[in-house]
Amino acid sequence: MHVGIGGAGLVGRLLAWRLLRAGHAVSLFDQDQGNGQQAAGFIAAAMLAPYSEAASVGSEILEPGLKAIRLWARWLEELRDDSGRQVPWQRRGTLVVAHQADQVELHWFRQRLLVLGASASGAVRWLDRTALRQQEPALDAFDAAVHLPREACLDNRALFAALAVAIDRLGGRWRVGERITHVEAQRIVTEAGTHHVDMALDCRGFGAKAQLEGLRGVRGEILWLRAPEVQLSRPVRLLHPRYQIYLAPRPQQRYVIGATELESESLAPVTVRSHLELLSALYTLHPGFAEAQVLEARSHCRPAFMNNLPQIALAPGVMRVNGLYRHGYLLGPLLVQSALALLRGEPALAPVSVVQERKVPSAMSAAQERTVPTAIGLM
Amino acid sequence: MSDTWQVYGETLRSRLLLGTAGYPSPLILEQAVAASEAQVLTVSLRRQAPETRGGDSFWQHIRRMGKQLLPNTAGCHSATEAIALARMSRELFQTHWIKLEVTGDDYNLQPDPFQLLEAATTLSKEGFAVFPYCTDDLVLCRRLVDAGCQVLMPWGAPIGTGQGLLNPYALQTLVKRLPGVPLIVDAGLGTPSHAAQALELGMSAVLLNTAVARAGDPVRMAQAFRLAVAAGRLAHLAGAMPKRLSAEPSTPVPGTPFWHEQGYGGNR
Repeated sequence: MHVGIGGAGLVGRLLAWRLLRAGHAVSLFDQDQGNGQQAAGFIAAAMLAPYSEAASVGSEILEPGLKAIRLWARWLEELRDDSGRQVPWQRRGTLVVAHQADQVELHWFRQRLLVLGASASGAVRWLDRTALRQQEPALDAFDAAVHLPREACLDNRALFAALAVAIDRLGGRWRVGERITHVEAQRIVTEAGTHHVDMALDCRGFGAKAQLEGLRGVRGEILWLRAPEVQLSRPVRLLHPRYQIYLAPRPQQRYVIGATELESESLAPVTVRSHLELLSALYTLHPGFAEAQVLEARSHCRPAFMNNLPQIALAPGVMRVNGLYRHGYLLGPLLVQSALALLRGEPALAPVSVVQERKVPSAMSAAQERTVPTAIGLM
Repeated sequence: MSDTWQVYGETLRSRLLLGTAGYPSPLILEQAVAASEAQVLTVSLRRQAPETRGGDSFWQHIRRMGKQLLPNTAGCHSATEAIALARMSRELFQTHWIKLEVTGDDYNLQPDPFQLLEAATTLSKEGFAVFPYCTDDLVLCRRLVDAGCQVLMPWGAPIGTGQGLLNPYALQTLVKRLPGVPLIVDAGLGTPSHAAQALELGMSAVLLNTAVARAGDPVRMAQAFRLAVAAGRLAHLAGAMPKRLSAEPSTPVPGTPFWHEQGYGGNR
């Protein structure tokens, strides 16, 4: 089967790679030059934080998130075999801290985890000052922390690059530098023309908004820094009544600082207020951040449905795989597995929901539907 | 029972106004709104890039709930800023209702009374229905009414603190001294009992956001607040018994001489 994938962000890349491994022919379309620069997944912090996220958005993502971490462990090994590259990732957990004035936030956070039933078998550990110093000496400004040892974090840019190499090596075809205007049954339409395939997968994230009912963008702003004076070995979350931030370490003393979350679809550059909030909060984590260099300030829109959970919309000859919200890396593997399962005629995995796409009342798509055989179950 | 109240010509049944920020998802927000039976929803726009209609998708979702919208000027620090945003919100939401917030202290999100009064004066003259978020100071409240505000929104406690009514005395003073002006306790409520207390005191309504949005189960909490507001209102209408210093048996206890009761020095 020849699969055409519109959008080479995280989901498009992962799907392309998995489909190539399963023996399919794959063409990958993207407006970028193949490096993924404009994808939301490229600027993300790529934290795999099922506990932290469940505490704020709900228990339904806890088990799927833990499952995804196990899947990443396997996939990153397979990706090393396919690409010859080892994507850096660490599984030392996350540290969650709050300043003395905001201790109630830390207790509230811990309480939420206990209510979620996450206290079992060392998944949530309370660190006093001594224990915290042992784990992370740089967090000297804090008296206590919640340690979530099962959380992880990966290097998303290294992942993007490794996936591109693997897709090349496995014979995937790239069509880059063409903006996609439509993904329809069995075809992908770009500014340069229409490309016919057996099955079209729409993986454009927020870019698919015009064609996907109920999809909205949730603006996020993120900073990339280089901070030679700060040595942190794992992701840190700072709880605050208003300015919550997280920080994820990257190789070469780089840190990703995020993220604002605004119910806005503006793609304008990062605002001064957001800079102030992110950087003021960051500076209180460690004074060494004062001399850090701001390498990038990026904004993007997370694609989300009304329940903030991923969804696959199905129609003959086309599948729209979207809605990862701020859980691209946490739930991405399960969304990809779900899409692959649906192509095989098997059910999707929780928490991914599946809907039948409503017919678009246009003459072209009606004509298309008459000639196209049901693609679901083709594999 | 038709226990309604009026504000700027609108007759409302519900005495619970709900904010729309910070819910786990828009879907849960929608369910919480339904459970609360609120008729008025506040919506913020300052950081949503309103000039390019950045928040449209989310706002449309809120509009579809079919409630009266009360846009707010949260995030503004001066009268000028708040006035500009109010004008923009009138265009965006097609309503002249505006919840006027002018922050004077960033850590407490405490309203700036001086800038607030200035903005309220201008906006009232321009035909806005101004809902000023203010402190519980009687003189400020009077000045806001003089400026044209037909409703006041004194705080219970600073926004997001969940402390409840920190100064019930001041709120009660407003009820007594400003009869005929609907009072909505805005901000600082944490639990349904706080809301019940506000209604018992004779406040017209309460406005909540964080207490519902950040509850473990926002939908259930919305329902709990709806019931508490109804209970508090009923209690106010019913008229509470006076407080007494000692217990008073509701049925006479025959055969117990009064000097046996505590306080008369009798042996027990």
